[in-house]
This record gives sequence, structure tokens and C-alpha cells, in this order.
Amino acid sequence: MSSNRAPNGLEAAFLANRERLLRFLRARGAGDAAEDLLHEVWLKITTAAVGPVAAPMAYLYRTADLLMIDRYRSERQARRRDKDWSEAAATVPGVSDAPSGERVLIARDHARLVAEALDALGPRPAAIFHRHRIDGVQQRQVAEEFGVSLSTVESDLRRAYRAILEVKERIDEA
Amino acid sequence: MRQDERMTDEAIAWAVRTGDPSFEDWDAFTAWLEADPAHAREYDRAVAAVMDAAEDGFVAPANDDVPSEAPARGGWRWLALAACIVLVVMLSFIQLRDASYVVATAAGETRTVALADGSDVTLGGGARIVLDRDDPRVATLERGRALFSVRHHEADPFVVRVGEQTLVDAGTVFDVVRADTVTSVAVSEGVVLVNPERKLARLEPGDTLSVTDGSDAYRLGTAPVARIGEWRDGRLTFDDATLGEIAHELSSSTGIAFSAAPAVAERRVTGSVALAPVEQNPQAIGPLFGVAVRREGDSWIIDRP
Repeated sequence: MSSNRAPNGLEAAFLANRERLLRFLRARGAGDAAEDLLHEVWLKITTAAVGPVAAPMAYLYRTADLLMIDRYRSERQARRRDKDWSEAAATVPGVSDAPSGERVLIARDHARLVAEALDALGPRPAAIFHRHRIDGVQQRQVAEEFGVSLSTVESDLRRAYRAILEVKERIDEA
Repeated sequence: MRQDERMTDEAIAWAVRTGDPSFEDWDAFTAWLEADPAHAREYDRAVAAVMDAAEDGFVAPANDDVPSEAPARGGWRWLALAACIVLVVMLSFIQLRDASYVVATAAGETRTVALADGSDVTLGGGARIVLDRDDPRVATLERGRALFSVRHHEADPFVVRVGEQTLVDAGTVFDVVRADTVTSVAVSEGVVLVNPERKLARLEPGDTLSVTDGSDAYRLGTAPVARIGEWRDGRLTFDDATLGEIAHELSSSTGIAFSAAPAVAERRVTGSVALAPVEQNPQAIGPLFGVAVRREGDSWIIDRP
């Protein structure tokens, strides 16, 4: 546990770059909550058992970025729930408001839809996406493994991301 | 339209770059974000979609229980949807392989998992849950705290297994905590049935129940509905809880190691703790519970004042 030791390099980097991080959070859409979120970044770095960090600033930015993504995802989840509830409330009293079979099926199966979308791009983009996002291998190393340039890896990943975004959006609209 | 497309392309390109652990050019990324307030949202959309896909674990392509032929470019989406409609019919008949997976959180971490039926589970720190990709209506909480928001489904109730206890929902938001062999449940909305096949208890909003494995003695209580699940917002409320239990909960929720000295571990207290100040200063809980908090090595001991 790290709450009871002297400030480390990460904390020092935070304190020295408070304004830069705040600016990033604002640009990232934090608005009035930017100060609160910055405080959350501080809590995360001071309470989590963080090992030695080679690039403290990159680590801090990434922590802030992930915080914003978490926020976006939980807001989106809440919106979906509200939507589901309002739809449920519109059904006839006394009648089961189980979601339609098609809806459950689409949700249940989005993993498969994503897999098919990636598959449609050809074998290499799908395999590169898998290696990077599921296995967590860095892009440079993925490039070496596949014998392609880093920019090819990036371009395959862009195509994969685009395909996934389209599938997810289609699911959301369904 | 074309403008939107370009923004999406740029957002995707940034998502690819920031997604690599070696990415360092955060200043350039900040500049892009500042160029247009809409950039941030577009980037969120792209990253969230990719994270969702990665967390879905995504099945191997060309899976043999989907009757899909190599689809023509552009038409694949419709074929995929058609394949799904075939699949829903098949799902009723075929036995699927074991598709269980585990989600675990580190101490101090909170995470929400969306289930395929539209339900979701938020896990508190140090929790571990087993879910089933093929059956989103079943969950096994092995340890820690979880808030379930469950879609009601008359024909297919949501079942949570916790140690020796079985909880069956009837369209519900409810909080479950598993610590050692003790299971505690608090209902915020709807109705939860506890152990319907053994010794049924029916919990309505505001009802709480705790039970130890190996015993069928339920300890029933009530809690203000607004407080149930408030741990997601960084607050823990203890109602007649032992200091030992409190130490355990605080450790899971904050990632700071607390323990209760044997002399006070069984003492029961009541109080509501905001976690942020405790994370700044672990001794802040002292006055609230009338105890002393002292540091011993890497942990904080709750003891007699």
C-alpha cells in the first residue's frame, strides 16, 4: 500500500504539471468537473500500488484519459437504462415487458457481429486487432511479429476500429 | 456529413495512437481536442466501442454454430443479422459450450460490467464475479461488493449465487456483499427472493438481510433506499457492523490496508464514511467510530482510543 510513504516521482510530476493535466481534462470534455476529476487522478496515483513508472507524464495523461472514458461509458449505460425503463413503462400493465427476442438476440450476439465485421476486413487486420487489443501486445512488437511496418499496423487498426464502431452503432440503433 | 466523417476518421486515428502503451504525444492530442469541442465526444465514442468489443472477448470468426458463408462486401451486416435470427431459434435447442468468464477488481477499483440482456453489475474494490457469456441471467459473486441492476424477465429470472445462498430477482436493483462466509443483501428497487428453494425470504426496497454460510438464521434489517449502492459514489454506510467488517470493507474500497485490533474487532458501530477524505488521511475514521487509528508497517490498525 502506498498511501503512507513520501511523494514519489509520479506524485511530483503531478504536482509540477497540474495545470497541463487540468487543461487536458477540459479539452477532453470534463467542463466544470475538471477539478474534481483531477483530484480523482491524484487519488488514483496515491492510493493504487503503482510500480516505478518510466514516463510519469504519459502515465498521468493516460490515467486522466481513462477516467474520462469510464465517465463516458457509465453515462452511456445510464442513458440506455433510462431508455429501457421508459420503454418498459410504456407497455401494458400486467403484461410481461420482456424485451423482444430480436433485441436480446442482437445484444447477446454482438461479440459475434464484431468478429464477423473484423473478418470481413481480411485475416491480417483481424489478427492484428486481436494481438494488440485482446493480447495487449504493443503496436511496434505486433509489427515485428507480422513482418509489416508500424504504419501498416496503425492502418489495419484504424480499419478495425472503424468496423467495430459501425457494428456498435448499428446495435445501438436496433 | 463529410465533415463528420473526417472527424470520425481523426478520432479513430487518435484512438489507435493513444491505445498504444508507448504513446507519449499528449500535447498534440490535447491540441486536436481543443480545436473543436466535438472532438472529445467523437473520440469517446470510438474508444468506448473498441473497449466494449475487446471486453466482449469476441468469439473467433467463422464460428461453426453460425451458418455464415463468406459474405459479399457491404452485404455482410445483413447476412450477420440474418445469421443471428437463425441463431436465436437454434439457441433454444442446442447446448452451448461452457462460456463462463471471471471479472475481478483490484482494491480501490470500481467497474461496471454490462450484460448481454441489458442488465449490469457494478463491482466494488477487491471483488470477483463469475459470469456466463451464453447465459447473462446467472452470476456467481465469489467475494466483494456488487450492485446489480437487473432487467426483469418473467420467464427467465436473474439468479445470483453467493456462497451457499441463492438470490432470485424480480426486476430489481440490489446490492450484494460477500465477505468470508457472510452474505449481505440490500434491495433498492423491485423484489429479491432469497433462497426460494430452502428458506424463502422476500426482500422489498429498503430491506436488508445478512446470513452466514452453514446457518439459515437470517439477520433482517432496513436501510434508507437512497443509501443502497451509494458506495458507487464514494460513500460507505455501516449499520451495526463490526469494526472487523468495516476494516475489510474500507480496505477493498480504498486500496489502503486497514485491520481491526482483536480487542475491538467484534465491536459493533454505525456510521457513514465518505471515502475521499479517508484516502487522504486514514485516521479520519477515528472520531466517527470512536476509535484510534495507528500505522503499523504498511497497514492501519483500528484500535481502542
